[in-house]
Amino acid sequence: MTLIESVIDGVTDIKAHKGRTLLQMVGVVLGVASVVTVMALVDSGRRKSLEFMSQIGGLRKVLIFNEPSEALVRTALEMSNVGLTFDDAQALRALPMITHVDPISHHRALVTYGDYQKERLLDGVTYDYSFIYKFHPAEGRFISSDDLAGAARVCVLGDTAAREIFGSDDPVGRVLYIDGVGMTVVGVMQRKEYYFDSGNYNALEWMNIKVFVPITSIYRRFTGDHDRKVTFINAIVDKSQNNSKATTAIKAMLKVRHQGITDFRVMDRASRLAEQEQRGREFDIVFLSAGIISLIVGGVVIMNILLASFQERVREVGVRKALGANGLHIMAQFLVESVLVTLLGGGLGILLGFGFTQAVSALIDQPAIITSDMALKGFLTAVSVGIFFGFYPALKASRLNPVEALRYE
Amino acid sequence: MTDQVIHLREIKKVYDAAELPVHALRGVDVAIAQGEFVAIMGPSGSGKSTLMHIVGCLDSPTSGQYILAGQDVSNMSGRALARVRNQRIGFVFQTFNLLPRASILRNVELPLMYAGVSRAQRRRRAAEVLARLGLGDRLKHVPSQLSGGQRQRVAIARALVNNPAIILADEPTGNLDQKTGEEILSIFDDLNRQEHTVILVTHDHAVAGHAGRIITLVDGRVVQAQAA
Repeated sequence: MTLIESVIDGVTDIKAHKGRTLLQMVGVVLGVASVVTVMALVDSGRRKSLEFMSQIGGLRKVLIFNEPSEALVRTALEMSNVGLTFDDAQALRALPMITHVDPISHHRALVTYGDYQKERLLDGVTYDYSFIYKFHPAEGRFISSDDLAGAARVCVLGDTAAREIFGSDDPVGRVLYIDGVGMTVVGVMQRKEYYFDSGNYNALEWMNIKVFVPITSIYRRFTGDHDRKVTFINAIVDKSQNNSKATTAIKAMLKVRHQGITDFRVMDRASRLAEQEQRGREFDIVFLSAGIISLIVGGVVIMNILLASFQERVREVGVRKALGANGLHIMAQFLVESVLVTLLGGGLGILLGFGFTQAVSALIDQPAIITSDMALKGFLTAVSVGIFFGFYPALKASRLNPVEALRYE
Repeated sequence: MTDQVIHLREIKKVYDAAELPVHALRGVDVAIAQGEFVAIMGPSGSGKSTLMHIVGCLDSPTSGQYILAGQDVSNMSGRALARVRNQRIGFVFQTFNLLPRASILRNVELPLMYAGVSRAQRRRRAAEVLARLGLGDRLKHVPSQLSGGQRQRVAIARALVNNPAIILADEPTGNLDQKTGEEILSIFDDLNRQEHTVILVTHDHAVAGHAGRIITLVDGRVVQAQAA
C-alpha cells in the first residue's frame, strides 16, 4: 500500500466529512495564520530598522563619548583629564581597522543675518562627517581639509536652517555672523527625511536644522579651548574587520592616552542592534506563543475529533486488517488523514496570515510580506501538529485486534 | 498429506478472563484437502466462531498446531499473520463489510493494495474478477447503490482477487433473502467446481447442504465429521 493510496483514501474521507474536517482545521488555520503574520512583521521591522541605521551611519559606526567617573571624590589623575579631545580623534586615525574618524564639538552661538537673530547650536565637524552620515551638500560644498587646517571662517547649513535664516534667498556665498564673527556660507545640505509610520514626523529633521563649521574654527574663533575638547567622536570600522575587535582597539588606545583611566564609553551599532533585537524578540514571543497555543488547541481538537470518530471506523479497521493490512498500514492511513487536514488548514492559515499581514502593515504603514521561506515554515508547523496529534489515534487504530474490530457494531 | 490445505492438530483456545478461564476450543483436529467444500456447523457458544478466526488467521490458538498451505502459522507475529491473511485467505462476511465510500472497484483492489501490486495490474485484475461475477458494468458504483446480492458478489470478488488458498465465508447468506441466498451459494458451488477450497461457517442446515462435508462443533470439540 503506497502513500498515494493512503492519500486517496484520506481525501475520500475528508470529502465525506466536510463539517468535521472544517472543525478540525479551525485551530490550525488560526495558529498558522498568526505564526506567519508574526514572522512577516518581525522580518519587516528588522529590515526597517536596518534601513534607518544605514541612513545615520550604518552598522559599521562606532560612537565614542565622554563618561566621567561617577565617584563622589575624584582622584587628582581623574581631574587632570579633560575628556575626549580633537587630538584623541586624530590619534584614532592611526588605527588600521578604522577608515573614518569624525570628532564633533558642539557650541551654542548667536547667529545673525539681516533681521534674523537667534541662538543656534553649532556643529564643529570634519570633512568625514559627510561620509559617515551619508549627508551631502545639495549646493556648494561641505567642509574641506583646507578649511580645517586654516580654521576657516566658513559654514554649511542644513536645509531647514538655510530657509530659516535666508528665506528664499540663495545662501551660498553670503556672509552671516556667528557670535559676531563673519562666516561665509559655502554649502547647503540635501534634505534628510525618514518617516517610520504613517505620521508626518520626520525622524531625521534634527539633521536639517544643523549649522556646520570646521571643528578647528570652534576652538580658534569661538571657545578658545586649548584642550580642544570634543562632544563625541564617530568612527567607521573597515568592512573587512570585526566591530568588537575595533572597539577593543579603540578602548585600549584611548585608555593609554587618558593616563589609564576609562572616562569614556565606546558603543558599537552592531551590538546595539543585537540588543534591540533581543528586546524585540521578547515582544514577538508573546505573539508567537499566541500562535503556538492556538496550534496546540487545534491539535487537541484534531485528536479529539479523530478519537470521537474512531468508533465508526473500528469496523473499517477490522475489515482492512482481515484483508491483509498490518499495523503500519493502518497507522499510515490515520496519520496521512490528520496530516492532510493540517496541511489544508496550514494552506488556509497562510492565506489568512497573508490577509492579517496586509491589514496590520496597512495599519502601521510598514510594508510586510510573507516570504516563501515563512510559508514553508508555516506548512511544516502544520504538518508537525498533524503528526504529533494524529499519532495517538493512529497508534490506537493500528493496535486494534482484528477479531474484536470485526465484531464491533 | 500433501494435498491438505488445512491441518489443525490439537487446537486449543482459552480466553483467560482472570478468575474464570473460558475454554472455547478443547482440542480440535481437522484436516481439509485442497479443493474441498466444507461447512462448519454448531450451535452458538460451540466454538464455531473461534475456530473460524483461527482458521482465518485473525487469531492464534493457545496451543496446538495449524498448518496452512504447508506453512506453520500457529505462532506467527501479527505482522506475519497479516501477510498470510492477505495472500492465502479470502474472507466473505455476513454483513459484506465493504468500505461504504469507496467504489466497488477500489473495494476489490484493496487486498492487492496491501499486497503491493502495481496500480495498473490491480485495476485489471479487480475488474476481471468483478466481470466474472457479473458486475463488470458497475465498477464505479459505491456499495449503497447495489442490492444485497450484488454487494455480496463484490465481497466474493474481493475474496477471490488475491487467488487465495481458501475462501472462508461466515454466514454469507445470513443477510439475504432466500432466493438471493441461493444465488450466492451457487456461486460458491461454481467456485468449488473450479477447484477452489471453500469453508462455510453456518448454523443453517440448508446452507451447509451445499458443502461436501460438514464438521459439527459442540462445546469446543468436533463431534461429527460427516459427509453431507
